[in-house]
Amino acid sequence: METVFKVNNLSYMYKKNRVQAVKDISFEVKKGEIFGILGPSGAGKSTTQKVLIKLLKDYQGSIEYLGRNLESYDNSFYEQVGVGFELPVHFSKLSAMENMKFFARLYRKNADIDGLMKAVGLFEDKDRLVGEYSKGMKMRLNFVRAMLNEPEILFLDEATNGLDPKNARIIKDLVRDFKNKGGTVILSTHLMNDVEELCDRIAFISGGEIREISTPRELKIRYGKRILTVEYRLNGETKERVFDLDGIGKNEAFLDIVQNHEIETMHSGETSLDDIFIQVTGERIDEPS
Amino acid sequence: MSHLKGLIRGEFERLMRYRIIQVGFMVSVLWLLVMFLIGREEARAFIPLFIFMDVALMTVMLIGAGLFYERQENTLKSMMTSPATMAEIIFSKLISAVYIAIQSAVFLGLFAYFFFDASVNFAILIPFVLIIALAHAMIGYAFSVWMKDFPTLLAATMMYMIIFGFPTIFYSLDILGEGLETVLMFSPTHASMLMIEFSFGEEVSTTLIVIGVIYLLVVAFVLGRYVVFPKYIEKAIKE
Repeated sequence: METVFKVNNLSYMYKKNRVQAVKDISFEVKKGEIFGILGPSGAGKSTTQKVLIKLLKDYQGSIEYLGRNLESYDNSFYEQVGVGFELPVHFSKLSAMENMKFFARLYRKNADIDGLMKAVGLFEDKDRLVGEYSKGMKMRLNFVRAMLNEPEILFLDEATNGLDPKNARIIKDLVRDFKNKGGTVILSTHLMNDVEELCDRIAFISGGEIREISTPRELKIRYGKRILTVEYRLNGETKERVFDLDGIGKNEAFLDIVQNHEIETMHSGETSLDDIFIQVTGERIDEPS
Repeated sequence: MSHLKGLIRGEFERLMRYRIIQVGFMVSVLWLLVMFLIGREEARAFIPLFIFMDVALMTVMLIGAGLFYERQENTLKSMMTSPATMAEIIFSKLISAVYIAIQSAVFLGLFAYFFFDASVNFAILIPFVLIIALAHAMIGYAFSVWMKDFPTLLAATMMYMIIFGFPTIFYSLDILGEGLETVLMFSPTHASMLMIEFSFGEEVSTTLIVIGVIYLLVVAFVLGRYVVFPKYIEKAIKE
């Protein structure tokens, strides 16, 4: 699979407060994958993203975009890239459609704006001033803004933050559609649910360093316990037993329970990404960055 | 510069919607009213001052207020992740501000010409207003990137007015003596005022006009090159 971004030993320090926000991180993003950057507030997610979208320049290390040094690209780089910011980025006294037309004029290629507005459920409100929009509506408009130029790579920063479950679902479905059409997504988030549903691979970032990179499934297997907890009925009471997954098919006690008792629940020892993150970094993710 | 046309169009739409152009026009109308109220002779004497106020100070405010809104609404960051270059983004705002300043100066100049028999050389006034507006747009930019919020931006503009504007106004009203002329040339507002007075046929030494033009162009370049461009990017990213 083609490598879209190849990041080698990337470090970034903000000059003003001399804080090293990103420390010697390396990773690759493949074409057509959804790559999640996961971490708590101040972990370095947004800084990493800002470097990749060429907003921050004086970094150490090397970044290749489609096999070429990222720095060698001029602003035409943005013809291929869509950026969905964490905060609303619109002119509040212009209507949603006027905003989108304003930004669309800056690109050679334009998506079907009406279609995008319909997809995110804003078409009916397209002529309303953005200042009258709710936060959720502004976030959906952010997504439309990011998709205006039919990008090949989509950077999303907390794309579903502040959205109700129905609208978060709409955005997640659109992200998945984008991937299915061959698009690459780099998603910075603190929301485990988004990561579990969308990401092919994730990088756990904490204190500016990448602590772990893998697929959600692989991480769950690696950090989970190979056990099976069974709750079953015995003499009118609920009993619980824990079995080792290895050799469970030949475990007589387990087979006896399964064959002769009413099973109430069965849970494998798969752990949540939240727990894995805490195990890996010693930190908790509860705030948006 | 392929995105400049779209950016300028967007900038005018934005300035109209945020009522920045309308407020600028209202200020010009206000100067007109003042001219009618103070009488023909006084109006003729004060017209260069009104144009100076309109062009120089309104440009600082227009650029500052416009940029303040953009910072508040995070739109700079969104523009910076588009194919438009930073130079195109800044130039689009400069061109819009300069255009509005020229329009306003021509509007006041035409009124002065037709209603108060003022002698106006538009061929001199227009390029001078362009230079004055350019320098003051850069000053407005510098204020807006240095200041944290709108109240501090207003305070900075007021300070600018007190430090640089008032001596110029006092000088043009003969409250300050002629001996201060050389010192005052270090003030962008004084250089601007002399250039406007010159375009209204007042006797001003050509040397001073040349110095004024060069000085304002240098102010615009230095602020643009060393303050506005680097700080603008920094501010946009930090939004």
